Amino acid sequence: MNSQKEKQNDSVPEWQLELDKVGFVRRLFLARKWYKGDWWFVLISAILLIFIILVGIFPQWFAPYDPREEVGPSLLKPGEKTPGFMLLTNIADNVGSFQDIAGASNKIGYIMGSQATQAFRDSLDILNAQSQQEGAGLMYQPRGYRYETAQQGLDALQAGEIDGFIVAESELGDLLADYPGIQFLEEIRSSKAESFILGTNQLGQDILSRIIWGTRIALIVGLSSALISFVIGVPLGLFSGFIGGKIDRFLTMIMDSLYAFPGLILAIAIASVLGAGMGNIIVAIAVIYVPTYFRVVRGQTLTVKNELYVEAARSLGTNMMTILTKYIFPNVLPSVVIIFSVNVADAILTEAGLSFIGLGLPPDTPDWGIDLARGQDYLRSAWWLITFPGGMVSLVTLAFSMLGESLSEILNPRLSEL
Amino acid sequence: MSSSLKKFLVTRILLTIPMVLIMITLVFFIMRVLPGDPIRSQLGPRVSEEQADRLRERLGLNDPILVQYGNYLKDMLTFNFGNALTRGERPIREELGEKLPATLELSIPAMLIAVALGIGLGAFSAKNRKKPVDYGIRLFSIFIYSIPIFFLGLIFQIIFGVRLNLLPLSGRMDPILLTTFESKTNFYIIDSILSQNWAALKSTLLHLILPSLTLGLSLTGVFIRLTRVNMIEMIKSDFITAGRARGISETQLIYKHSLRNTFIPILTMIGLQMALLIAGAVLTETTFSWPGMGRYLVDRIALRDYTAVQSTIGVFAFFVAIISLVMDILYALVDPRIRY
Amino acid sequence: MEKEILAEIKDLSVTYPTRIGSVSAVDHVNFNIYKGEILGLVGESGCGKSTLGKALLRMIDPPGEISNGKIVFRGENIMEYDYNHLRDFRGRHVSMIFQDPMTSLNPVQRVDEHLIETIQVHEPQTKEDSALQRSKVMIERLGIGIERLYSYPHQLSGGMRQRVMTGIGLILNADLIIADEATTSLDVIVEAKLADQLREIRDEFGVSLLLITHNIALVAEMADRIAVMYAGHLVEIGDIYKIFEEPKHPYTQGLLASVPNIRFDTNEHLYKMPGEPPNLTHPPLGCRFHPRCPHAMPICSQREPLLVEIEEGWSVHCWLYQEQSS
Ligand SMILES: Nc1ncnc2c1ncn2[C@@H]1O[C@H](COP(=O)(O)OP(=O)(O)OP(=O)(O)O)[C@@H](O)[C@H]1O
Ligand SMILES: [Mg+2]
Repeated sequence: MNSQKEKQNDSVPEWQLELDKVGFVRRLFLARKWYKGDWWFVLISAILLIFIILVGIFPQWFAPYDPREEVGPSLLKPGEKTPGFMLLTNIADNVGSFQDIAGASNKIGYIMGSQATQAFRDSLDILNAQSQQEGAGLMYQPRGYRYETAQQGLDALQAGEIDGFIVAESELGDLLADYPGIQFLEEIRSSKAESFILGTNQLGQDILSRIIWGTRIALIVGLSSALISFVIGVPLGLFSGFIGGKIDRFLTMIMDSLYAFPGLILAIAIASVLGAGMGNIIVAIAVIYVPTYFRVVRGQTLTVKNELYVEAARSLGTNMMTILTKYIFPNVLPSVVIIFSVNVADAILTEAGLSFIGLGLPPDTPDWGIDLARGQDYLRSAWWLITFPGGMVSLVTLAFSMLGESLSEILNPRLSEL
Repeated sequence: MSSSLKKFLVTRILLTIPMVLIMITLVFFIMRVLPGDPIRSQLGPRVSEEQADRLRERLGLNDPILVQYGNYLKDMLTFNFGNALTRGERPIREELGEKLPATLELSIPAMLIAVALGIGLGAFSAKNRKKPVDYGIRLFSIFIYSIPIFFLGLIFQIIFGVRLNLLPLSGRMDPILLTTFESKTNFYIIDSILSQNWAALKSTLLHLILPSLTLGLSLTGVFIRLTRVNMIEMIKSDFITAGRARGISETQLIYKHSLRNTFIPILTMIGLQMALLIAGAVLTETTFSWPGMGRYLVDRIALRDYTAVQSTIGVFAFFVAIISLVMDILYALVDPRIRY
Repeated sequence: MEKEILAEIKDLSVTYPTRIGSVSAVDHVNFNIYKGEILGLVGESGCGKSTLGKALLRMIDPPGEISNGKIVFRGENIMEYDYNHLRDFRGRHVSMIFQDPMTSLNPVQRVDEHLIETIQVHEPQTKEDSALQRSKVMIERLGIGIERLYSYPHQLSGGMRQRVMTGIGLILNADLIIADEATTSLDVIVEAKLADQLREIRDEFGVSLLLITHNIALVAEMADRIAVMYAGHLVEIGDIYKIFEEPKHPYTQGLLASVPNIRFDTNEHLYKMPGEPPNLTHPPLGCRFHPRCPHAMPICSQREPLLVEIEEGWSVHCWLYQEQSS
């Protein structure tokens, strides 16, 4: 009978009781029980964003190559080995390596029009770079000789007219068996690496490096245009909502029309008049998000304005700036944070869209939209030209929108009650 | 029709007028007042100043800005856009008349896909709030929203066009059929049905699948979100609790009671998403070489045909204003509180 | 007079988990509802009246839940019902009228649609026109013009809507109607009319009425018995005349004393209860009322009293009226 009387607060878990007392970090951690999935959304997107921003600030740490440099053969599949070429020499010459027959007096042969030319030049570049580093002052510059067929080349090599012959395995076939005096010395590659993780594009640029450097562009455009919209839209909304009257009605009408206008079309119009270039693109994108801030901030200002404490502050003779910054701004801040996050995502998408239709940045920029537009020409043969830059745009946009969406679920008291 | 509905409609229509005016003024402002010389960029550096001036004179660009604005407004409001500066210099009105149906033929199915999928999934998600499927659907909606529409299109092209070789990559119809195809309305579906050209109809439908799916799916994300948020609000409302208290099942409460009430806000918001649809259509048309207004705009921008660009954007503005008007009228018809 | 028990609420607890702790909105509550009676349920705002009412229909919004106890309705434990059984139970046996008449009807459904839907949900074989016939009869009996049957809710006045809600509750001959502050938002005259009508309905249909309200005067006028809640506990329940005559629980005493002129000496000035109702996430140990109680004893802050019957049909939840057993 008495057991019921001695009821303790055991239905309240310990961590909940402590929630008010613990520090900020721990509270964030504890909050995951309450916010469930949204908490994980925030966490995942925050981690993703930190990484993306790191990559955007220091692309050189992550990118293996210069994004504009031609570093390998064109259209190499991800992970595919760059085709190797065989360097053939006379056994009798007793050559140790390519270096030994790469002096200015040496002669090297290859087949006309073969990719071997490229490989030949690239390996020389590497040798020269090495010697320069060591300060040896040697220049490797053998003379090249072209032949119509592999057979001619081999004949010339056997006759001692040239010191070495560079040929692809496919070009050679099984001819080598007929020339017992000729040996396969070493493999010569046409690029800086054996393979590229994400492949190369049609210009032989490394896709990985390009998308890493593209992060910087996307972040610059996304963040600065969002910042500009913010700086214009928020004060305008505060001001308009606060003073009301004719000016407010006029501004609202303009902003509503601007809001209803398809953003991309507006950006297209502005960008097409201003011309290509990062600054112009940023301006074009910034314009289209001003109304979003304006509408939300104005709406909330109207509500907050009429609340008692503002009335009170006003009757005490507090000036407008103080009321706006001290009372109203903190109230609209949560929604503005959410919009900002979504805005950055949208801005990145819009930038990619503008670049895709050829209105964005100068054509040599390592930009995702530009890469996608170019990749479209190779749709049938090279899926990796499209997949990786597109994936990057999606990933970065996803991180920002996920943050915005989950924050709105958490910060919006109407939706999350309690 | 009751008098309050009439009053609502009249006010709404009157409100559309300043909106259209502001929008086309905006276009004027961007095209003429912003720094940058459209004529120079059109003709290129090699053409003499004299020649450029002649073209300016012809287009009235040497007049005072207010006169220009007046003429521009007059032209826009009478749909008298003049001739294109490039590619055969045809009347722009005629060209847009051909392109608009193509854009509609793409947008309408896309919108249907987006509305059906968006509302269905959004309602389902709201019903299962905070359960794993809710998080799954929300993740999907954020994800689909984050994919650039042209990337989605390209992926579809790679998968269904190149790999599986099931569907055509671009265009509105097989080019061979197109040579003999006679189009009256420029809606290929309607034309092929009217002329009972079943091969053409099949080809048109096949060509429509990927673009409309791309555009539709990319809009779905937003619709899911709007539906979900509105439904959650609605599910909390008293009449749902009251319905539950008299034994109406959850499924009915969601799909009958809440959804019918949510349709009203959703309809308004769909009206606001028109901007998104049009932006999406421009990119989709570019990706799939779909000869609609968006593709036309992008082409003409590349050619620096400034008259054509200005007119196309103006027409888009009209389009948006009209759709938002239509949506509001529909809203009035659905909501009994306005109807009476 | 032997009263027939309609519903027995046994040891019922409801908790809502929230960010700052779980709220025990209803805590180990025991009482009966008799057939054909009007039971008034009063208490301060936030003491758990609505929660208790909803719990009777097992309609606590998740993540809240009925954490303990059972509800026996006409001999059946509804805690054991599965979803379909429960759905049929709601509306057919117990129905509820809510506070805000403006929002508790579906704005896009006409009155007839509400009524017909309710009938068809529970009796799917009923034809549309016979359902309509029944609706007409009900609407007329409630004193609403037939032509109102085809109105949308926003076209009706608040009082009419509450009558429609009542009609929806009665159309399936429910045994119990829970009126959660059903009259609060109406003006005084309409409120009085609705109250009259509810009493008539009770006499005519023999339903029981659980009348949740802040309006003590209304309870005094209508109810047969009164139940007083404080901070999730049922502190006193019994015959209305007896309790109004001589309230036992200090909270009931305070509550009645703070109501302007009912039956007390009119020149006694209004009593103001000291203190605030407790935070239900961390309620005081022992009796939840002890921090505000003028008669608090040491035991009160240590152990919770029981709800003991001090007289036939009159129970109090207070240490003043029970042995402090060791
Ligand atoms: N969905 C919910 N989630 C969390 N806590 C809730 C919920 N609903 C009610 N509560 C809490 O439960 C307690 C009782 O609420 P309830 O609505 O039952 O009070 P009430 O007596 O009906 O008040 P009122 O007279 O104001 O209607 C309150 O403290 C309230 O904060
Ligand atoms: Mg209540």
